[in-house]
Amino acid sequence: MGLGRYGTFTGGIDLPEEKNATLAARIRPCEPPERLRVPLATGSGPPAEPCVAVGESVRASQRIATACNGGVDVFAPLGGRVAAFGWIATARGERFVESPAVELTDLRPPPETPETPERVFDWSSAEPDELARRIADGALVTHRPRPVPLARWLAGARRRRCRTLVANVVEHEPYVTADHRVLAEFGPEVIEGLAILAKAIGSAEVVLAVDRRRTGFYAGSIDAAERFGVARIALPHKYPIGADTILAKVLTRRETPPGAETTSVGTAILDAATCRAVFRWVCHGLRAIARVVTVAGARAGEARNLLVPFGADCHSLGDFGDAMVLHGGPMAGLACPAEAVVTPATAAVLALEASPRPVPTACIRCGWCTDHCPARLNVSALNDAFELSLVDDARRGGAAACVRCGVCSYVCPARLPLMYRVQQLKRWILAAASDPDSETP
Amino acid sequence: MTDAPRPTPRRAPAVPLLPNPAHGPFLRAPEGARTIFLVTLFAACGPLAGGLVLFGFRAAFVAALAMTSCAGVEWLYFRVTRVPALLGRTHAVLTGLLLALTLPAFVPWYVPVIASAFAIIVGKAVFGGVGHFVWQPALVARLAVAVLFPTQLAVASEALPSRQPVLAQNRLLVGDVLSAGKGSNTVAWRGRPGPKGKDAFLLTPPARVLRGLTDARKPAFSAIVFRRPGPVSRSPAALLEMPPISNLLYGARPGGIGETSVILIAVAVLYLVYRNYVKWHLPLALLAAAWVTAAVAPVFLAGPGPAVRTRWLPLLTDEGLDVAFTYVNYQLLSGELLLAVLLVSAEMTSRPVTTGGQVLFALGCGTLAMLGQLYLDVPVPCYMAVLAMNTFTPAIDRLWRPRVFGMKRLAFLRRA
Repeated sequence: MGLGRYGTFTGGIDLPEEKNATLAARIRPCEPPERLRVPLATGSGPPAEPCVAVGESVRASQRIATACNGGVDVFAPLGGRVAAFGWIATARGERFVESPAVELTDLRPPPETPETPERVFDWSSAEPDELARRIADGALVTHRPRPVPLARWLAGARRRRCRTLVANVVEHEPYVTADHRVLAEFGPEVIEGLAILAKAIGSAEVVLAVDRRRTGFYAGSIDAAERFGVARIALPHKYPIGADTILAKVLTRRETPPGAETTSVGTAILDAATCRAVFRWVCHGLRAIARVVTVAGARAGEARNLLVPFGADCHSLGDFGDAMVLHGGPMAGLACPAEAVVTPATAAVLALEASPRPVPTACIRCGWCTDHCPARLNVSALNDAFELSLVDDARRGGAAACVRCGVCSYVCPARLPLMYRVQQLKRWILAAASDPDSETP
Repeated sequence: MTDAPRPTPRRAPAVPLLPNPAHGPFLRAPEGARTIFLVTLFAACGPLAGGLVLFGFRAAFVAALAMTSCAGVEWLYFRVTRVPALLGRTHAVLTGLLLALTLPAFVPWYVPVIASAFAIIVGKAVFGGVGHFVWQPALVARLAVAVLFPTQLAVASEALPSRQPVLAQNRLLVGDVLSAGKGSNTVAWRGRPGPKGKDAFLLTPPARVLRGLTDARKPAFSAIVFRRPGPVSRSPAALLEMPPISNLLYGARPGGIGETSVILIAVAVLYLVYRNYVKWHLPLALLAAAWVTAAVAPVFLAGPGPAVRTRWLPLLTDEGLDVAFTYVNYQLLSGELLLAVLLVSAEMTSRPVTTGGQVLFALGCGTLAMLGQLYLDVPVPCYMAVLAMNTFTPAIDRLWRPRVFGMKRLAFLRRA
């Protein structure tokens, strides 16, 4: 039985893929780190309150901070000793934010887990409400570029009665293969996690969306997908088909209004790493304390997929020298500051050849940004709106529909930072919408 | 839980951890603006080569003069005003080449120089340089010199002011267009030796011949009907008076250096389409609009006696579809319309951004160009049509936008 095939979308671009080095590289544990600086605020919301003291010894998966006001509990990724409290940088969507952290040293190797751990919870007989409570107890965070507490995400999806639940394993960005490897090696676990979430949300359609050219890796998930009624869909390779709103449109033909989440059109989208974390917590009671990170790029040495505990320094994952180190993919990712640590948002740490930033020149109105924009924005007009600070024009032009894929900046022959400018407009628009009296420039 | 001091990190650190971030994406497509100009320059060299063959060394002289003086004026302008000339030099050379394509080869040396000054200063620099101008600089310059030097641009020889030279086939590339002798009006240029002792034929520009065929109201033109009156002639006048259409295809007719060779212009435009520097919709819509206009717009035929008949829809005249079809094609090929297509394709700044807007723009260009060619007594009607539509580019850009993802069509027009 083949995979279902679906359509495509207007715009987008074929990027150089650069994934060959890590597509078949098995996940392996990273070098034992010297210290971990575990962020207390991974998802949005206030940081958790530490419940350990300096000098205290902690076990792996021990609670080291308690959630307050909508956050999630924080657990020690590895056993060790609390050395200090400090500040680190965590990625949250389009920027890094400063977050308090607990520093652990004298780390012990990760505890051995049996090959097939025993099941502690039978989710197939649980009611959706009970299942949602069980998932919320796990203090999980979505493993997405903008992590949110899974409990809150689940509550939103349940409140909006999302009919469609999608596991987005397209991984459209060059170099990044973390989710691909998770699905390739732990396919049945990912599918079962997806089924658990579907039951908790009450979704009728459950979809596993993968890249058309990599379906050969996922043979191991076919049985599980058929058992749990998960539709397997191969999508064409065109950047940014993995962006949430675009994926929802391609799969369901529902268009998300500008600035809204896909859940507002009844489509909940997650990734493979989160699904697996849900499975491990719900069925085995194992905390999410590490994630798979792709370390690749011209200056990264050997390209590899590593299982890295949360809180490890991004720069300690390889000997990067003076390379340009990126957090996430090269299109929507961020330049990695020295204080950045691995969080659920870290799908990849890339070390690329540092090149001088191109000097932007005047827009020559070639229209390539508009041609390739997946949201069909007139980006050159938005660039004018940015230069003239016409925020209202930008709002009517739909700037809030920007999916932050970076295609406009990629193709721009004048080397204008278009994505940055449209994002800036979007921020102003959303700020003005939430506070009409606020000063917009 | 011990009672050891537990410093809760509440305050943000005094020194921010995060330096001013470099923002993504960190990959860039290899093609820059300068690449675009260089590749366009390369594409425009095709029609220039055709001009060199058909109009000899004077074409090379005019082109070199226009390109160097454009670059020189640009350098001088930015030297004086101290505005940094980002991308300026390459674009100036490109502008010079495009300008040279529109000029005839026999013009005196000062015409391309003054045209270049107009192109760079009036066409480009006063608007703020590359990316900011409204009207295409090369066409601004062409229009300016058409107004300033009407005789120098139209008259090649004192003896026959209504005719312009094309090199005879045995003097291609090396001949001098100013050494020209009289040639037949309907000359089959192929295979004929040149006039005795001369390098070039003097021919009537085919657009002027066509104008005489279609506008019987003007006594200045030799007003004749499609088919000559009287029972004798069986061949339509459109075919008798005009050069064979193959001549128009490879360019053996009077005109600007790059205006005449339809085949080379088509190759250049197709190359630009292949490079994605212009979407195929734009040239196609322009040509289609011009074709339909020529097929529909009325012609004025000398009726029986002194009366003038106004005939709408010349495509369906009594002469038969074949004659009318040929007439419409002649209308497209005999003027400067084809080079206008190349010029519009080669200049991104002065055309709309979106595909729909470009189609709208092209429809306007094609229609206006053909109407101008049919009814206006102006030197370069097609270029004027392009300039006129350039004026509307900002308006088209504002009004014609694709439907934004997740929004209703025309949502940008609503107030709230």
